[in-house]
Amino acid sequence: MTAAPHDSLTVEDLREMYRIMLLGRRFTERALELAWEKRLPVGLHPSAGQEAVGVGACYGLRPGDWVLPSLRTTEAFWTRGVTVLQMFNAVMGNSGSINSGKESFHHSGYPELGILAGTAMVGAQIPESVGVGWAMKMKKTDDVMVCFFGDGAAGRGDFHEGLNLAALLKVPVVFVCENNLYFQTVPGTVGQPIADIAERAAAYAMPGEVVDGQDVLAVYDAAQKAADRARAGGGPTLLECKTYRFMSHYPLMLEDSRPPEEVAHWKKRDPITILGRRLEEMGYQDAATARAVEDEILEEIERSFEKCAATPFADVSTAFANVYAEPLEDMGP
Amino acid sequence: MRNLELRAAIREALVQEMRRDETVHLFGEDVAYYGGILGVTKGMLEEFGPDRVMDTPISESGFAGMAVGAALMGLRPIIEMQFTGLITVAMDQLVNTGAKARYVHDGAMSVPMVVRSPHMMHGNAYMSQALEAWFTHIPGFKVVTPSTPADAKALMITSIRDPDPVLYVEHEDLYGVIGPVPEESEGAPLGRASIRREGSDVTVVAWLAMVPVADAAASELAAEGISVEVIDPRTLVPFDSERVLQSVRKTGRLVIVHEAVRRGGFGGEIAAMVAGSDAVSHLKAPIQRVANPGVPVPHAKGLNRAVLPDEDDVIAAVKRALD
Repeated sequence: MTAAPHDSLTVEDLREMYRIMLLGRRFTERALELAWEKRLPVGLHPSAGQEAVGVGACYGLRPGDWVLPSLRTTEAFWTRGVTVLQMFNAVMGNSGSINSGKESFHHSGYPELGILAGTAMVGAQIPESVGVGWAMKMKKTDDVMVCFFGDGAAGRGDFHEGLNLAALLKVPVVFVCENNLYFQTVPGTVGQPIADIAERAAAYAMPGEVVDGQDVLAVYDAAQKAADRARAGGGPTLLECKTYRFMSHYPLMLEDSRPPEEVAHWKKRDPITILGRRLEEMGYQDAATARAVEDEILEEIERSFEKCAATPFADVSTAFANVYAEPLEDMGP
Repeated sequence: MRNLELRAAIREALVQEMRRDETVHLFGEDVAYYGGILGVTKGMLEEFGPDRVMDTPISESGFAGMAVGAALMGLRPIIEMQFTGLITVAMDQLVNTGAKARYVHDGAMSVPMVVRSPHMMHGNAYMSQALEAWFTHIPGFKVVTPSTPADAKALMITSIRDPDPVLYVEHEDLYGVIGPVPEESEGAPLGRASIRREGSDVTVVAWLAMVPVADAAASELAAEGISVEVIDPRTLVPFDSERVLQSVRKTGRLVIVHEAVRRGGFGGEIAAMVAGSDAVSHLKAPIQRVANPGVPVPHAKGLNRAVLPDEDDVIAAVKRALD
């Protein structure tokens, strides 16, 4: 059997992947609590249950690579190095936010970390990512672009147009479909006549693969292979990561519409537990070390929120800046 | 100075900038192998090769989004929408992904792209639309509307070098217009109107193909002893409001001419600029707007003419203003 890409990950790498997923989960839970208490102005579209996708797809990336997160790819932010304080500031929209409060946390871009701001228009990031890949190719780099989107985006014209262009132009893009089986409140079967979105890759003459989105190492392996192929000039890949969100689309507003037994079934395949168990089996983690990781995360979350709560909002003049590179002269009297 | 067709002036600007800056790329439907359905990009594939002058599939949203992504990464894409009506298909990418990128990144990212939007106002209700006002409404977009070969070249150069998304509107009726064009150009600033004809009785503001129409109307009126000042704003965003206000202060009468639908057209914005300024007290007559009254552009020549402004409509509006 050939070696899987994850075989070369170190113990530290595996522990770090575990830590990031757990951080994502605990941050989401805490931020939702704070939103219920009205100590944060908005809730989150929780990634809970889907952490392995963002971590697995981003962990092996290099500094020159870029990612474009979907609404729910919170773990792309964590994996590329966004701090807890930055995330809280972004949710709060205060002056510590990367965009001074101009846009919400899940549409925030962190150019220095290779993260482009996402859009609220589901699937619009797909053609945009093709353009990023095209620029990488024209500059003759071996960087890759990782584009995340949900299963709902696969019904959009931009999915078709983007994948078609990507395959024609052989751009170095890894398309990662986070298929959590639901479009907001309705099951994916309402919108997809096929079981596997990855099948559609064949229509664009690009490789497509169904991946276990609950297994961070499976996602890592698939993403690394796709990224390697892209770096070598082999063009784009469509990865469909089967996953599930553990909470409703937007818990602050929407009740969970899904059958409770289905939710319970998927919760048995918790990506954090799956990697934790593997670490235990390998002798790299036990109850005490797991507890220590968790305590450290919880402590960092509380410390960061305190700092966030003490951070002022940007001066209102900020709202009018950076619409254009140079402000326009007065349009009229 | 040699004379060039406006079509060739645009091409010269594209070629000049692509020679100067290898990050400038051109793509769209039929722009490469065929050289553009209306011939603007003829010969460019041969000079620059298929990576820099590229035919795309029929995917206006796809290649518009692609242009935004490429621009974010430091390329300077120019995309051709073939006919302005096709831009409706790409609105999400242009208005959301493109125009908002600088703002949501709080200035850390730029989208230096040019969207070529050729108006073809006879043909069919879908392609034949004048949608520049839509883009004047979108924070983040600039809107350029040249009417002479020299302006077409200079403003294309400026648009390509501009760090923000620019809607560069072309007009099929103007492609064959011949005029002097400097061989060397470093562009011209946006937001500077041009007085095409000086006059003292009535100010007519017109852009794109309505500039020669207004000018012809002014010539006829001159024979009747009516002195019309014709102002071509050249760009709608930014807009040279001061030049218009100065003229209105002088003439006291304003006629605005555009092919776009009157309701929600940019003419209403210009009227509001005047109404909200000191120039309003100089007005001796109500502001007149000459525009498509609000119907899809019809196919048959006679119907088409009835809907879109022509010389007679401008003359009638000027006379109304003088009544």
